[in-house]
Amino acid sequence: MHERSLVQNLLRQVEQIVVEQGGGQVAEIRVQAGDLSGVEPLLFQMAFNDMAPAVFSAECQLVLEVVPVTAVCCQCDHEFEIVDFLFRCPACQAGSVQVIQGDEVKLISVTINSNHSVEGVAS
Amino acid sequence: MNQRTIIVQRDVQADQKADAAAERERLGRRGTLVINLLSSPGAGKTTLLQATARHFAGRRSMAVLVGDLETDRDAQRLAPLVPVAQLTTGGACHLELPLVQRGLKALGDPEVDFLFIENVGNLVCPASHDLGEHLRVVLISTTEGDDKPGKYPKMFRTSQAMVITKLDLLPHVPFSVDAVTEDAFRIQPELEVLTNCALDGSGIARWCEFLEQQHQQRLAMYHEPAGNR
Repeated sequence: MHERSLVQNLLRQVEQIVVEQGGGQVAEIRVQAGDLSGVEPLLFQMAFNDMAPAVFSAECQLVLEVVPVTAVCCQCDHEFEIVDFLFRCPACQAGSVQVIQGDEVKLISVTINSNHSVEGVAS
Repeated sequence: MNQRTIIVQRDVQADQKADAAAERERLGRRGTLVINLLSSPGAGKTTLLQATARHFAGRRSMAVLVGDLETDRDAQRLAPLVPVAQLTTGGACHLELPLVQRGLKALGDPEVDFLFIENVGNLVCPASHDLGEHLRVVLISTTEGDDKPGKYPKMFRTSQAMVITKLDLLPHVPFSVDAVTEDAFRIQPELEVLTNCALDGSGIARWCEFLEQQHQQRLAMYHEPAGNR
């Protein structure tokens, strides 16, 4: 349910980009989902497979990369990866840390073919 | 064939987050603190709101938007006490901002001190949706087990306060306040922890005092420095 609403937002954003780019066929959509984004990659892929063909062509590929959660310490500025959901600075033990990556689903790039003679999938 | 790759680097929920930020600012500017209340089903959100309404009666104004998949049972419980609108999601597992805005409109967009959004009972999906709140509070009842924070990290990470409810049942259930607090602090070391039993009223005064403090602190940014007390 949640993955479907995210895929819907994603498709809407991509549609807008295609319009801004003067049209064309979407070959590939690259997305990053963090460990704290609340997204299960398999369910996201399934929702995409289900919903994308109605908006773009069936050849349109989703490349989903899962990224770790990283944070920066508000006390000592140390940047570190959150392991096992322990939100504490490993350098100074401060509990005040800010997540800088991994709590969202991000549209990274869109690859567009500008004519209809698409033969393969973009690498 | 002309192929090009457009670099975007944009949050998929960017539009929704911008809308939520605008609503947060609009309500904050006029002095309404918005509280998103989250928990699993049956943790005691509605009972806590009933006790809160009784405590604030005649002193502070509040309104409630209550989300459920079906029925208006929670709204009926709150209606004798405060202005309330039921938001039925028709099966969706969480509230989103447009539903909240529709509920606010149905209430006549009241200028209250506190607007509570009682989310759908669920510790998963509601964590990913900004409803324009200033304060996110997660409830956990003593009957749920003290191992929940680690199992639902996003919910506890994105909350500013954790309220442990049904404290009167502690002698009867294997639940440790220390253990649940320690587990939650791993994920969110800055979490405010409160305990209460809404049925006998213990802890409610402290909870309401916390809300008053939050009202002052979190809405201070919307006022001129000279206007602060």
